[in-house]
Amino acid sequence: MKKVAIGGGQGFWGDSPDAAVHMINTADIQYMACDYLAELTLSIMAKQQLKDPKKGYAPDFVTRILKDAGRTAKERNIRLITNAGGMNIQGCVDAIRDWAQGEGLKGYKIGYVTGDDIKARIPQLLKDGWTFPNLDGEGEFTEIADKIYNCNAYIGHEGIEACIDQGADTVITGRAADSALFLAPLKHELGWAADDWDSLARGIMAGHLLECGGQGAGGNYMYDWRHVPRMDELGFPIAELTADTLELTKAPDCGGVICEQSTKEQFLYEVLDPANYITPDVVVDVTGAAVRQQGENRVRIEGIRGRRRPDTLKLCVGYHKGWKTVSMLSFAWPDAYEKAQYCAEVIMKKMARIGMRADDVHISYIGLNSLHLNVADTSERAIRDLNECVLRIAVFSRDKAECAKIIPEISPLQLNGPPGASFFGGRAHVQEVMALWPTTVPRDAVKVSGRVIEV
Amino acid sequence: MPEIYLHEIAHGRSGDKGDTSNVCVFARKPEYYPIIEREVTPEKLKAFFGDMVKGPITRYSVPSLGGFNFVMEHALGGGATMSLRLDSLGKSMGSAVMRLKIHVDEGELT
Repeated sequence: MKKVAIGGGQGFWGDSPDAAVHMINTADIQYMACDYLAELTLSIMAKQQLKDPKKGYAPDFVTRILKDAGRTAKERNIRLITNAGGMNIQGCVDAIRDWAQGEGLKGYKIGYVTGDDIKARIPQLLKDGWTFPNLDGEGEFTEIADKIYNCNAYIGHEGIEACIDQGADTVITGRAADSALFLAPLKHELGWAADDWDSLARGIMAGHLLECGGQGAGGNYMYDWRHVPRMDELGFPIAELTADTLELTKAPDCGGVICEQSTKEQFLYEVLDPANYITPDVVVDVTGAAVRQQGENRVRIEGIRGRRRPDTLKLCVGYHKGWKTVSMLSFAWPDAYEKAQYCAEVIMKKMARIGMRADDVHISYIGLNSLHLNVADTSERAIRDLNECVLRIAVFSRDKAECAKIIPEISPLQLNGPPGASFFGGRAHVQEVMALWPTTVPRDAVKVSGRVIEV
Repeated sequence: MPEIYLHEIAHGRSGDKGDTSNVCVFARKPEYYPIIEREVTPEKLKAFFGDMVKGPITRYSVPSLGGFNFVMEHALGGGATMSLRLDSLGKSMGSAVMRLKIHVDEGELT
């Protein structure tokens, strides 16, 4: 029975390339897909591209994956798929072409998928009557229309599969859905029909288990993190599929763990309603799914069902919301928390006196409650025993100048505030705050195409 | 009835979609599943988090995986870069859920 194996090479932009390079060098796989795009990554890329037209994609794919393992991938017939193209697919393709030429890889085929970026078509879509409703139910799209950095549709597997059909060694996309990067080669290899929803759903969940890299193999593993072998050499997961099975494993000779619990933690991760996990390719139902250990670092996943894909595509719209500053001061025992709290009062009184108009202020105490907030243990005992505590004040304003007002007021508290205050990390900077507008677009408004060029 | 942290009988992971926090919770042993089902209700979690989670909390059951998905809306102070929280993506919301104190009967824990 035909078997196809695909690995997950990156979980986000900035991930370590070690596991991907190791996998290309040692694993029995035919494909590897690398996910670089989180929800706001495209907005950051769009902003970079505004300053420098050559930017706007994830160069790491070229400088960290291809450079170290691209030639081996080609020699071992491992085809690579990635959404590293971000907002600048052409720039990414150019960089890969330069790399392939430098390596002397004549005939190297680069596939690229376009059509997800629909920012230029917003005016027409508005004119056609599409309102880009906020799925969280707040505001009118027209209020943010002039502040948009990017507007990309989460597209499915079709463009990628077209490139694979044409023999691409590497396929570059922009905002293809993470799991579509994995579904495309699986569908291509196993010959699934476009409406074979159960099989497509199995392919999507294979991608879902791989798209976060190490998180599928013992990273961020609550069940038993102490006993994850060789976390410093954490392997990333590999999915093996046949016409009717799905198994998860990892490369030989690397750290990490593939077991029922590690797989389950990733399985429902960010899935929301498990009976209706919506992707551009299929609506997945995992309410009957089961995970069983099949051997050392190998599990089998069964019971995934699929239903017809939706008629709309989710949009990733990033827009300018305002500005923020984050300031910190540290305090030590005794009374670390009391001092930090008093210092916050002093700062906020000063801010009131100079008339800082903040739209939101968030004060928390690192070492006590900055992560768990309301549910942190702030009992008398916990506070009394605190060795140290960092005051953190975050300020948001639509007006950049208002945000900046707090910056010069922090470091003087070392001399003018409660005892032992220590200012660290340098002066705060005003940072731009970008936000997401959660909405959809009709599927037929997005025209996807996949082309291949030869080096 | 003894009171324990959910952490003792469960594990899970948190993720984010915008301002929504998604925490999956699995029983550490199959026999703990009904305890979680009884003890970790959306109402209880809502009261536990207070104004830290501003929207509704929905619980989805997946018995074949021995677990649940808790979807908490308006839970991350705006989400992603909009949030002023240190943990704007809610990476620690999973462990926050595990702090919930639950009641177990004598003999329920083996």
